[in-house]
Amino acid sequence: MSASSSNTLKAEPNLTPLLDVVFQLITFFMLVINFSNENYDSRIKLPVAGSARPLDDPGKAQEDRLVLNIDSKGQLLFNGKMFSGGQAVEQIKFEAQLARENLRALRGKKVDPNEGLPVRVVIRADRDTPFTPIYGIITACQTNGFRKFDLKAMTGE
Amino acid sequence: MKRQKTEDVEVPITPMLDMAFQLLTFFILTYHPAPAEGQFSMNLLPAQPVVSMDAPATNEAANNNDLPAGLKTLPTVLRANADGMLARVTLGENQIEGMDAFSKELASILKDPTLPFDQTVIKVDPQLKYSELMKVINIFSDLKVNKISFAEMGPDDGAPQ
Repeated sequence: MSASSSNTLKAEPNLTPLLDVVFQLITFFMLVINFSNENYDSRIKLPVAGSARPLDDPGKAQEDRLVLNIDSKGQLLFNGKMFSGGQAVEQIKFEAQLARENLRALRGKKVDPNEGLPVRVVIRADRDTPFTPIYGIITACQTNGFRKFDLKAMTGE
Repeated sequence: MKRQKTEDVEVPITPMLDMAFQLLTFFILTYHPAPAEGQFSMNLLPAQPVVSMDAPATNEAANNNDLPAGLKTLPTVLRANADGMLARVTLGENQIEGMDAFSKELASILKDPTLPFDQTVIKVDPQLKYSELMKVINIFSDLKVNKISFAEMGPDDGAPQ
C-alpha cells in the first residue's frame, strides 16, 4: 500500500482590508458621537417650531450655558435631580451666586449685583408644560441676574 | 557566496480585528443621534414700564437691543381653553381666533407704517401649554419681530369686550 501524501489546503484570507473598513467605521462613530448632550434630558418632549434656528453663531456656542429642563408637571430637572417650586428658585439663586463668584474671580474685583450675568440660560420645557411654572423659572432667572435666554424647540417633527 | 535567507514575518491580525469589532459594537450601541434642536434667542430683562403703541417714537430706545423701557409696545394676550390649547388671541385691541388669522393680522399691522411698534409683550394664560406659546413665538419670529417679553395674564386681561 503506497502512502499518498495528503494535500491539506490552508486558506488564509487577507484580513487587512476588513480591518481598514472597521477602523474607518470606528473613526466615523468616534467623530459623530456626542458626549456633551448629558445636560439634555430625553424625557422632555420639545415643542415644534419651524423658525427655531440651530446654534450657528460661534460666539454663542462658546458662552457659558445653564441648561434648565422643565418637565410636563413644571418641575425643574437639573443635574439629574428634580426640583419643584421654591426648591427650583433656590437652585437658580445658587447657580447665579456661583456664576457671580466665577466672574468676580475672573475680574479680581467685586461684581455689581445689578449687572447681567454672562451666562446664557437654555430653557428646555416639555410641550405640555403649562405657562405658570415656566414663567416662574424665567422670572427667578431674571431676578437673579440672568438676561440671555434660549427657548429650545424642535425644528421639525 | 552565501545564500541569503528571507523570512516572512506574519503579524497576527485576528486579535486586532476582534478588538476593533468590540470597539465598533460599543460605538454603535452608544450612538444616539441627537434630534435637530433649534432655539429662539432673546434678551429678557426684568419687567419695566412700557409705552403704548400710539406714543411718539423714541429713536434711542428703538436702536438699543438691551433697552425695553420706553419702547412702543404691542400687547398680545393669549387665552387658553380648558385643555390648555390656544383659544383666543388679542393683538392690540383686536380679538382673533386661529393661528392663520393671527398671522395675517400681525402681518397687516407690520405693513402699516403708521402703526409701528418696537417690541411686544405677550401676556399668557397660566394654563396655556408651552407648545401653543411656541407657535405664537414662531409667527412673531417669522415676521422678524424679535423683541419679545412675557407676562402672566391677569384675570381681567383678554376678557371679551
